[in-house]
Amino acid sequence: MAAAASQDWPARYFHIDQILDKPGPRTDPAFAAGDGVKDFLRTKAKILVIGAGGLGCEILANLALTGFKDIHVIDMDTIDISNLNRQFLFRQKDVGKPKATVAAEFIMKRVPGVVVTPYFGKIQDKDEDYYMQFNLVICGLDSVEARRWINATLVNMVDPENPESLKPLIDGGTEGFRGQARVILPTFTSCYECSLDMLNKQTQFPICTIANTPRLPEHCIEWASVLEWPRVFGDKKLDNDDPNDIDWLYKTALKRAREFRIEGVTWSLTQGVVKNIIPAIASTNAIIAAACCNEAFKIATSSAAFLNNYFMLIGTDGVYSYTFEHEKRQECPVCGGEALDLTISPDTTLEQLIETLTERQDIQIKKPSLSTPIQQLYLQAPPQLEAATRANLEKKVSELVSAGGEVTVTATTLPFSLSLRISYTT
Amino acid sequence: MAATNDSQTIEEATTGMESAPDQKTRRYDRQLRLWAKSGQAALESTHILVLSSSSTSTSVLKNLVLPGIGQFTILDRTITSPSDAGNNFFLEGQDSVGKPRAEEAVRLLLELNDGVKGHSIVNKDVKEVLGTEDGVEWLKGTFSLVIAHNLEKGALDQLSDVLWKDAKSPPLVVIRSAGFLAEVFIQFHEHAVIDSHLDTTPSLRIDKPFPALLKHSLEIDFENMDVTDHGHVPYVYILVRVLEEWKQAHGGNPPKTSDEKKEFKAIISKMRKKADEENFEEAEAQAFKCWSSTVVPYDIKSLFGAENVAPHTKPFHLLLKALEVYTTTVEPYTLPLSATLPDMKASTGQYVEIQRLYKDRAVEERDTFKAILDKIIAEQGEDASLIDDEVIDDFVKNSHILRLLKGKKWGALDQDKEKLAEAAASEESSKQLGIHLALSALSSLQAKRQEAEFAPTLEELTAEAKAILPEGVELPDEHFDNAIGEAARSPTADLPNTAAFLGGVVAQETIKMITKQYVPIDGYCTIDLVETWSGVL
Repeated sequence: MAAAASQDWPARYFHIDQILDKPGPRTDPAFAAGDGVKDFLRTKAKILVIGAGGLGCEILANLALTGFKDIHVIDMDTIDISNLNRQFLFRQKDVGKPKATVAAEFIMKRVPGVVVTPYFGKIQDKDEDYYMQFNLVICGLDSVEARRWINATLVNMVDPENPESLKPLIDGGTEGFRGQARVILPTFTSCYECSLDMLNKQTQFPICTIANTPRLPEHCIEWASVLEWPRVFGDKKLDNDDPNDIDWLYKTALKRAREFRIEGVTWSLTQGVVKNIIPAIASTNAIIAAACCNEAFKIATSSAAFLNNYFMLIGTDGVYSYTFEHEKRQECPVCGGEALDLTISPDTTLEQLIETLTERQDIQIKKPSLSTPIQQLYLQAPPQLEAATRANLEKKVSELVSAGGEVTVTATTLPFSLSLRISYTT
Repeated sequence: MAATNDSQTIEEATTGMESAPDQKTRRYDRQLRLWAKSGQAALESTHILVLSSSSTSTSVLKNLVLPGIGQFTILDRTITSPSDAGNNFFLEGQDSVGKPRAEEAVRLLLELNDGVKGHSIVNKDVKEVLGTEDGVEWLKGTFSLVIAHNLEKGALDQLSDVLWKDAKSPPLVVIRSAGFLAEVFIQFHEHAVIDSHLDTTPSLRIDKPFPALLKHSLEIDFENMDVTDHGHVPYVYILVRVLEEWKQAHGGNPPKTSDEKKEFKAIISKMRKKADEENFEEAEAQAFKCWSSTVVPYDIKSLFGAENVAPHTKPFHLLLKALEVYTTTVEPYTLPLSATLPDMKASTGQYVEIQRLYKDRAVEERDTFKAILDKIIAEQGEDASLIDDEVIDDFVKNSHILRLLKGKKWGALDQDKEKLAEAAASEESSKQLGIHLALSALSSLQAKRQEAEFAPTLEELTAEAKAILPEGVELPDEHFDNAIGEAARSPTADLPNTAAFLGGVVAQETIKMITKQYVPIDGYCTIDLVETWSGVL
């Protein structure tokens, strides 16, 4: 990194150095003002940014200006025209190219001396050795599943004998004028899984409404995408990024709406429902990304206490924010370790139990595999084992697991297991 | 069941249909979902003036150029220094050093959006502009909004005076920051919001059903209707019916005591023909609507009689006057009916029908409202076309969530001994006041000293801040010391993350002011990034 350091011209960090040269009234006594902390920040710190989209672009720019010189960025997406209203490292000519690569190139061109190493692919492609090399991880993801994965991976990596294995995770998210930023110290603070039940439940329309008694334009759109598309196109998968497919859905939904005298089906609504579009603007992303990078700076330099641990912002009515300490859950399957007590009826079938695991807001495990210490109850994969255990789905759980018995739940998408302790109502 | 119409041709089915969105609509899709075409049009016809090209200023501009603001002008004499080149994303490192900072920034900002125009003025500062009548007219006449980051105290006071004197002047967004501390204040006379997007749902007026609704509810043959249909009767009809029958049996009164309310719900429950009729479940859950009286909400009532202090809000005041007359002279003395219905368990036919009932009535009430408005407009000697039909519709539709903000002059707080004492004593505002005082102290000290390397001591800042407070008034130590301490630590630091944070907040507020949608901040928004905290004073 010596070559990079020499690209720092005198007074380059005039602004930041005002913070790093002196402590403030709320600075930790451990803070060592001066060259040591600057040296770490500008020549040794290694930071990973996950996501190069709305938050990611902002995060990369902020980190580069803050003085981080060794930044890695992962993103599996390519650039779309609808990104350009906020993902400011991309231009019209970049549409179709990988976000990670274009973002990295832009930052390196604009901010001298910064090295940004892109990876165009999934976070799941990388292993623990990869994540071990960083001091900090910042996420600007748009997927709950991806967040759960990285959260569990970082928590699993923590080795109490090795303080270096603890990688602080800063996570940001936005929706319209709202956003949140949080700091997770794996195994110490509440982790992402601990707060799963805070997520907004996604609107789901009952299938009978969609099939028989539509009332809203959304019902007509769901009908077109969920029922009519498979009927007309069979196995052909709907590509909701293909304007032709959206066009078909729009026209089909509109025809149905007209038949039922329902108003309100528009192109915009059609796209919105099918792609589950969340409104997004540059300003909210800027605020949340800034909050995240501010935390990264404080953690990397100890120049001020960092966020403990959850910051929420609502910008629709004035500027309203609040910060609170989200508590660790003892039965969190990722960082807690204790079993989750679950009481069910003795008549509940294994299949119904699985449905509960999918739907409960604090669990949300799709396609779970279940086992007890002595028996595989149901395995999703491989196909032979799925077939072998399928018969158990109809059986009552009380036939398979005694009261107080433990069931271990796993899923291929999640690198952790959930322990359930089953008891039955009388 | 399904009302399919097999004889409809593709042409018939697809007339009046939208074609695929154009490039611009696709680009702005994610923001159009927040402020729609009307908001976008307002943004695109705006020209803003920004009085610095600091990192915070360019950060604000980035978040306005990206969504497509019409034009911006940066007025800034600064020549890019080595320290500028280190904290500003819209400069190109050492290549920009020695060049006018505003020019560099404009060039690099314009790369973000082809549809935006940008200009730099690098040979004047705002004091010179304010020094001539032409300059003042140019400033007031050209721009819809002015943004000033860390503007020197003398210039800022002069600017805010000039803009405050004339109610037709653009709003002024004042940003001050140092290190982890910051504040944002919007100086405006009056700001009216019709499309506030606030969450409150309009009343369905179940307690005061309009004639067509009452008639329909009374005519339903619950006893003899088809069992499936019974489970698909909209709950609104059920409640109106049960309430009317209750009132007939109780001297015209709705359920009052908690026993009566229980009894009322039991009546609904007994009407079920099957245990799982969701519409009856909904009726029981919403039964309280029968005994809550629909009145004009306090938030709206308190707007009546408000004084009109700025010419651009005159139409809003006329609409408010019409609303006041409407709610006090037209039965049932509530806001005009909203046509918006929530979803509810119902057959398509029943739902579409009840929607139509509400829509027809809403149109009738809107027409009555419009007649009142036309009369008021004529009485004022204004032209009938002063207010568009679209605006009237919007106003009526949002009449339950209107907002009218009264602004204050920048700096008025620091002259108001009473308000300062109040704020210092209250837990709800002393932290904010601490930040505000620290930034005021920095600003006034810097103006007095005019030195190249401004580095005040803790003692100097403490004294300067205390001098602003009235005699004998003190802040809780913690809030005061923390703020002053941060100001002393980093008096001239425009930190990248603070700049980015402010860039988002100020752009968001600017967009609200321009689109007149959502509700802007009311007061001083103070920010402390040591604790990732914000609070309004």
